[in-house]
Amino acid sequence: MKKRMAMIAALAAALMSTGMIAYAADTADIGEPNGGTEIELWHYFEHEADALNAVCKQYNESQSEIYVVPTFVSREELMKQYTIGAVSGELPDIGMVDSPDMASYISLGVFEDITSYLEGWEDIDQFYAGPLSSCKDSEGNLYGLPNNSNCLAILCNMELLKAAGYEEPPKTIEEFKEICEATTDAANGVYGFAMCAIGNEEGTFQFIPWLYGAGATVASVNSEEGIAAFETLGELIENGWMSKEVVNWGQGDALNAWAAGKAAMLESGTWQIANLDGDLKDTVTWEYKYTEIPASANGAQATVIGGENFGVCAGAENVEACVDFLKFMQTAESNAEWCEIAGKLPVRADAVGLKDFWTADERYKVFNDSMDFAVARGPHESWPTISEALYTAEQAVLLGEKDAATAVADAAAVIDPILAEVPLP
Amino acid sequence: MKMTIAAKKRLEGYTFILPGFIYILVVLGYPLVYNVILAFRNVNVKTFKSGTDVFVGLQNFIDLFHDPTFLMVFKNTFVFTIGCLVFQFTIGFVFALFFSKKFTLAGPIRGMILVGYMMPMSVSALLGKNMFDVSSGVINDLFMKLHLIQQPAEWLLKGNTAMAAIIAVNCWVGIPFNMLLLTSGLTGISQDVYESAEVDGATPLQKFLHITLPLMKPAIASVLMLGFIYTFKAFDLQFVMTSGGPLNATDVLGTYSYTLSFTQYEFSKGSAAAIVLFCCLFIVGLFYLRMISKEDD
Repeated sequence: MKKRMAMIAALAAALMSTGMIAYAADTADIGEPNGGTEIELWHYFEHEADALNAVCKQYNESQSEIYVVPTFVSREELMKQYTIGAVSGELPDIGMVDSPDMASYISLGVFEDITSYLEGWEDIDQFYAGPLSSCKDSEGNLYGLPNNSNCLAILCNMELLKAAGYEEPPKTIEEFKEICEATTDAANGVYGFAMCAIGNEEGTFQFIPWLYGAGATVASVNSEEGIAAFETLGELIENGWMSKEVVNWGQGDALNAWAAGKAAMLESGTWQIANLDGDLKDTVTWEYKYTEIPASANGAQATVIGGENFGVCAGAENVEACVDFLKFMQTAESNAEWCEIAGKLPVRADAVGLKDFWTADERYKVFNDSMDFAVARGPHESWPTISEALYTAEQAVLLGEKDAATAVADAAAVIDPILAEVPLP
Repeated sequence: MKMTIAAKKRLEGYTFILPGFIYILVVLGYPLVYNVILAFRNVNVKTFKSGTDVFVGLQNFIDLFHDPTFLMVFKNTFVFTIGCLVFQFTIGFVFALFFSKKFTLAGPIRGMILVGYMMPMSVSALLGKNMFDVSSGVINDLFMKLHLIQQPAEWLLKGNTAMAAIIAVNCWVGIPFNMLLLTSGLTGISQDVYESAEVDGATPLQKFLHITLPLMKPAIASVLMLGFIYTFKAFDLQFVMTSGGPLNATDVLGTYSYTLSFTQYEFSKGSAAAIVLFCCLFIVGLFYLRMISKEDD
């Protein structure tokens, strides 16, 4: 008995020490306390966390009035904490949020109106309209500042494409389908294409380019073009060019499948270049190229804007200090510096000219050029419900549970009444 | 004013139950009452901040029971609970009987079975997600090698198989739990009874049917009731393993209520779904209490 207890105690100690090591590893270098008022900042950056910590350190060392302390909270948990915080008032001073979610949180009262604090700040004119609009309510009041942008493109394993007789990535949807067919190798479990069609916002994010590329919009989903968008993706599964498993894949899972050589092409985001240069450097040994997402004959070229915003939370004791930090973080220089380290796209027009990696690096250039036709999700206070209707319809088609027309009609039954009440901007 | 001894005693009694009463009031009572209030109003993303929510009576419940997704979720919850109870109780009981015999390594093997129960549910769910993966899952690999299937099965991509997979993972956790409780019930039965039965020439089956089962009745009832309550309010397994998918096929009341409240910000509808969950468990709890009090009598 004693022996058993000792074993249990040893196991518990081992688990605790693992936890302590994990905690110690999480302790970031943000500069020594400068004696200023502590500002708590919550974020869900993972590989970008070091870049964020560096900005905080730079700010903390540049003055002695404010001391910014960033804390990592997983995305799922952070979103839950905002909702709970809306009721309890337990919120950080500054909070990070995925851009399409911000409108809902503004409606719930999670973020503070900082319009008056930004009056006279000329830099605001330099922000791109799309990302900035996601920080506003329907009356145009600002609740935060956008931090970074990203969008989606097609990542091609050129080794597989060349083996199938294609020297260049696809330019048209017909060519895309041809390559999907030619590169699919069912015997070895290799598919022509992989994407994320999971039942959450990530799924909607990856679906939007296909919807707009087919010539439809969220507001006109119940149209021939909308149905065609669902059919295009359904066809990929029907023909065996894409795995049905995409409905359970997050964007990271889809990248892992591509990196394991299980897909020739992948719908990939800007931030994943950092993965290719980092943890996947030794895995992805083949030549790869990015290309814009192909549009159908009826539609225009399209992709979708992603990115994160930082807002000042309701109840923050020192709103002015929080805004001061946000301004510091989002100067053209900081934004350019930060985006280069984190592998993101700037949200300010004047930041793009400060570095050349968005144009010099062919991979980033594809994303940078795609921003010209990238569409935003919302902003809309009921975006989560709209988004759910879209990814549910997509999953129903991909799993063969519904035909595209029925799935679209079901999605429109949810979306149309919402947009009739409050239209998309 | 002098207190009578009886009044003093009564006051003393109240003082003893006061901490427990306050605990229940604050920790259980407040959230429950708040939840009930929410369920009868229309608090959502539009009305939350402005405070323009109004009393809507039973409208949220009516909406829910007219919503095909909710009806599916309601059914799923019962299918999941009953499916889990049948397998985990039967197998747990067999294991309890088996390991009550004294044989070499009985203790260590029983200990190993408990690993599933000791593991956090989210870890079990992640393991389950990987094991039932179509292309790289160990289940498909094993079944293919045993020639039970010709092509990899799409376990988590079809409604019925996803539910079966999720029940299997829950049983992995539930079997040790059932085994533990039933073992303690078995050890409570005196060996003298079995010895007397043997003297009378009872067969093993007769001993099981006429001694073990009747004497285990209170333990069995407890295991089934507790099992029902734990399984019915499941959340983390579905949340991590399938996110309620595909297409709500494994969504249960717990996860659906969470989605309504925390993803769609339909707080009142989420609360109404939680109240439905609570009512189901309350009815089961009442049965359990009645049964216990009958046995006490």
